[in-house]
Amino acid sequence: MRVDTQNPKNPMRADLPRSTRESSTAPSVAQRYCDILASVALAAPDDNIEGQLTEAFELGRAAVDQGIPPDELTNMHHLAVMALADAHPQLGLAQIASQMTRPLMEMSMAYGLAFRQQMQSRYENMVNTRLEESRKLEAIGTLAAGIAHDFNNLLGSIVGFAEMAGDSFKEGEPGKYNIEQVLKASFRARDLVARMLTFARQSPAKAMAVDVVREVPEVIALLRASLLPSVELVFVAEVEHARIWADPSQIQQIIMNLCINAADAMDDHGSIMIRLAPLSDVSPQHAAGAQAAQHICLSVSDNGSGISPEALNRVFDPFFTTKAPGKGSGLGLSVVYGIVTSLGGNIKVESRTRGEQRGTEFKVVLPLLACNEAEKEEQHGEHPGN
Amino acid sequence: MANILVIDDDEQFRGMLVQMLTLDAHHVSIATDGEMGLNMLERSTPDLIITDILMPKLDGIDFILELARRHISVPVIAVSGGRRSISADFNLESATLLGVKATLSKPFVREDLRRALVKALA
Repeated sequence: MRVDTQNPKNPMRADLPRSTRESSTAPSVAQRYCDILASVALAAPDDNIEGQLTEAFELGRAAVDQGIPPDELTNMHHLAVMALADAHPQLGLAQIASQMTRPLMEMSMAYGLAFRQQMQSRYENMVNTRLEESRKLEAIGTLAAGIAHDFNNLLGSIVGFAEMAGDSFKEGEPGKYNIEQVLKASFRARDLVARMLTFARQSPAKAMAVDVVREVPEVIALLRASLLPSVELVFVAEVEHARIWADPSQIQQIIMNLCINAADAMDDHGSIMIRLAPLSDVSPQHAAGAQAAQHICLSVSDNGSGISPEALNRVFDPFFTTKAPGKGSGLGLSVVYGIVTSLGGNIKVESRTRGEQRGTEFKVVLPLLACNEAEKEEQHGEHPGN
Repeated sequence: MANILVIDDDEQFRGMLVQMLTLDAHHVSIATDGEMGLNMLERSTPDLIITDILMPKLDGIDFILELARRHISVPVIAVSGGRRSISADFNLESATLLGVKATLSKPFVREDLRRALVKALA
């Protein structure tokens, strides 16, 4: 084995430029690779370099563990070669070339293997997390159904007793008015429970041709019962029909959740606008005479408190909520996101927390049934043109 | 005026229902679950049974099925605090075959109850 007189403390060592070294006391992957390369390059042709190769292999794994990206490996090798050339100008190119490919191969191979394993385990983690989430949702569904049942029992007693108590008062007496308020509040509670049951429902969706224009008023009627009278609900339809392929309850859930979210962003007063507008997507692949993909844009906007930019990034995350404990499950918007995605649509949100345009707007874009499909649905008829 | 057997495990709700029916001049007896209801039916036959669906011991659905098995043809009003349909495999149509004349969802108002009674006793 040769001994390099220029570097008496560590004859094998060819130090890397400062910038690539880590501040921790343990040598970095790059530094260790540099050392291995130097040791291999300086070895005599008949020296056993198995130890160095094993270390290079381990280094490949370590690089994956430390999250060093693949292209960084090439750079690391390049820097190590340069450092080696600087430290040992006497080394001939032939010697370097013949010796140093092997540790590089070992390291790359180990890196590739470990990288694939890491990907696999990340993928499994992701799948498990989703499974965990759906189990949580299922548990919440069961819980909601149980709570709904108990609440309806309690409301049954409240409503019944209140009605009978009302008999003790004449029309116009304060007691009569008070009992009416008890009943009104009970019916609002009943509607809330019904909404909770909608979430708890685990039956699979049954898709059919649904006209969103006709669905909205029904949802508004249901919502009206549970929203404060001081919250204004406006529906603007800029289209006559908007037929999509979905389970009607999915459309109801989308609108209901977005409106509840909007109402919760208000201090008792405010306005919620539901708008249905056409949206034509004339992308290049449709240009050649084919029919453009038609979409409908369903937007729900409010003039409430708005969503902060930090919260905006997480609005669709399950269990994320800014509402007071017990006021929101953090599931409403993630349910909406799930439904919209399953219908082949997309959802976007914009929000301002101050200024005149304060408020939030959710825009849901859903694919419309093609005209001929919708007509077929109505007329049981022939294919127009085709 | 009718002889009515009320079966419900919720004491407060049962009390309310008994009072409501009594105010309308019906004669009411009570049971706290399906099993107790069946025992009472061995001693006397009411004109009408109002039963809850979700109950401990013998629940409403098993109770109604048991009535059919024993050929007891008393009209039944099924009351439920849960889903609209009584259960996934036991819908209103099949329930009708077994003597369920009407269903009521909790909470209901007095008029709903009166309508259900008229329908069941018709």
